[in-house]
Amino acid sequence: MPSTAAKEWPLIAFTLLSQIAVGALWTVTAAVLFSREAGARGALYRPSWRGLVAVIALVVIAAAFSFFHLGRPRRAVFALANFRRSWLSREIFFELAFLATVVFLAVVSRRRGEGTALLEGAFILASVLGALFLGSMAKIYMLRTVPSWRGLHTPLSFFLSAAVLGPLAAASGGPFVFAFPARAGAFINGVLVFVLAAVALIVLTVLLFTPKIGFLGTKKRTLLEFPARRMYPFLVFRFLFLAAAVLMIALYHEVERGPLMILAFVSALTAEALGRYLFYAIYGRLGV
Amino acid sequence: MEQAFVRQYAFHFDSSVCTGCKACQAACKDKHDLPVDILWRRVYEVAGGTWKKEGGLWLPSVFSYYLSMACHHCEKPICGEACPTQAIYKRDDGIVMLETLACIGCRYCEWACPYGAIQFDPAARVVTKCHFCYDYLALGEPPACVAACPMRALDFGDLSELRKKYSGLREIFPLPEASLTEPALLIKPHRDAARATKATAEVANWEEI
Repeated sequence: MPSTAAKEWPLIAFTLLSQIAVGALWTVTAAVLFSREAGARGALYRPSWRGLVAVIALVVIAAAFSFFHLGRPRRAVFALANFRRSWLSREIFFELAFLATVVFLAVVSRRRGEGTALLEGAFILASVLGALFLGSMAKIYMLRTVPSWRGLHTPLSFFLSAAVLGPLAAASGGPFVFAFPARAGAFINGVLVFVLAAVALIVLTVLLFTPKIGFLGTKKRTLLEFPARRMYPFLVFRFLFLAAAVLMIALYHEVERGPLMILAFVSALTAEALGRYLFYAIYGRLGV
Repeated sequence: MEQAFVRQYAFHFDSSVCTGCKACQAACKDKHDLPVDILWRRVYEVAGGTWKKEGGLWLPSVFSYYLSMACHHCEKPICGEACPTQAIYKRDDGIVMLETLACIGCRYCEWACPYGAIQFDPAARVVTKCHFCYDYLALGEPPACVAACPMRALDFGDLSELRKKYSGLREIFPLPEASLTEPALLIKPHRDAARATKATAEVANWEEI
């Protein structure tokens, strides 16, 4: 059975774009809460509505990519029918709920004078829905018949992609898109430290939990599985691109040039795209 | 013959007499007019063993056997759990049905099924699967695969009745643990099936199935 990863490009795009959107929303939510914690009550950071529209656009584009995965995209609305049992139904439900909340936030952010409590509550709700969206997305793959996907590495890789790519996307577009407040330096620094920690966790997740080659990864064998030796080039290049992203972040810390942040984002995105390709490549189910 | 009060239709397969002629596979394909690359019933050729040197002689210690597999209409069908549209459901008689008009072609069920029973039809852009020839059952006829077998290696009926009639296994190489999906299947193993493991045997005809 040849690797199915190449034909799963719509899912690679869907998962990564969705994770960027959720991660960016988490970052903005953190900025909102940070502005309150910093004692700026009454001067709550209100992200520009353009940034929220960018998050909406990411989710919509991600959904559009997912349609290329479907044999019958016109019937896609049926996919909500099995919420009680299917994680795919739940994923789509939480995706739509997340999208609706961010649309609400964008509308509220355009209108000035809305209560801060409402805004904060809506941001927190959107963040929780985003987490449920990514959690459901991970559960789809954790099938009891597919040992190569049924492990901690699946949810960790999905959440860590969001934790690295989302903040980098928000920070690299920040001055133009999210219009972080003037005294956002400390916040941006905090975000970058968080991103570096998430990169370290990605490396740890790969080394510990990757099926067959990770120290704690499943050793269950299946017929026609992806050979371990073919996994190494993907992992090496993924680590190299992550290292490049870390280097750009370090340089940004020194000189604060916007393009460095964009390069960091592109490097991290390339690394995660390689990781996601490998994720689909290692599919191997029990039985025949 | 249609059986009254069937709670779970099931297949019995006698691997010890199967010659691998693939008449079941051909009958199924013919009955359902299946396109190229789609086989609701597939005959797996399992081969293994090696040659041993004894003194100056090389002696064969090899084996092979066949497995005729279709959808096993599992009691815990993971395909139905995976399907987001409820296109896959269980009838009262245990047959796992697929409503193709509700299928969106996401192929999630295909990933999940450990028996390769769900197959994507690129022309129709939906998945397809064995439905136990429910139309034949309604007429009191056996499924096409069962009727076609010249060795009478295939049988069908209510799972509880088959259990009384045969003492079969549900998992031999290369099938997965039965507890994953509780397949409605009984197999009388070939005498060499006990020797077959992932380390000692392989499916030898992937290009055919």
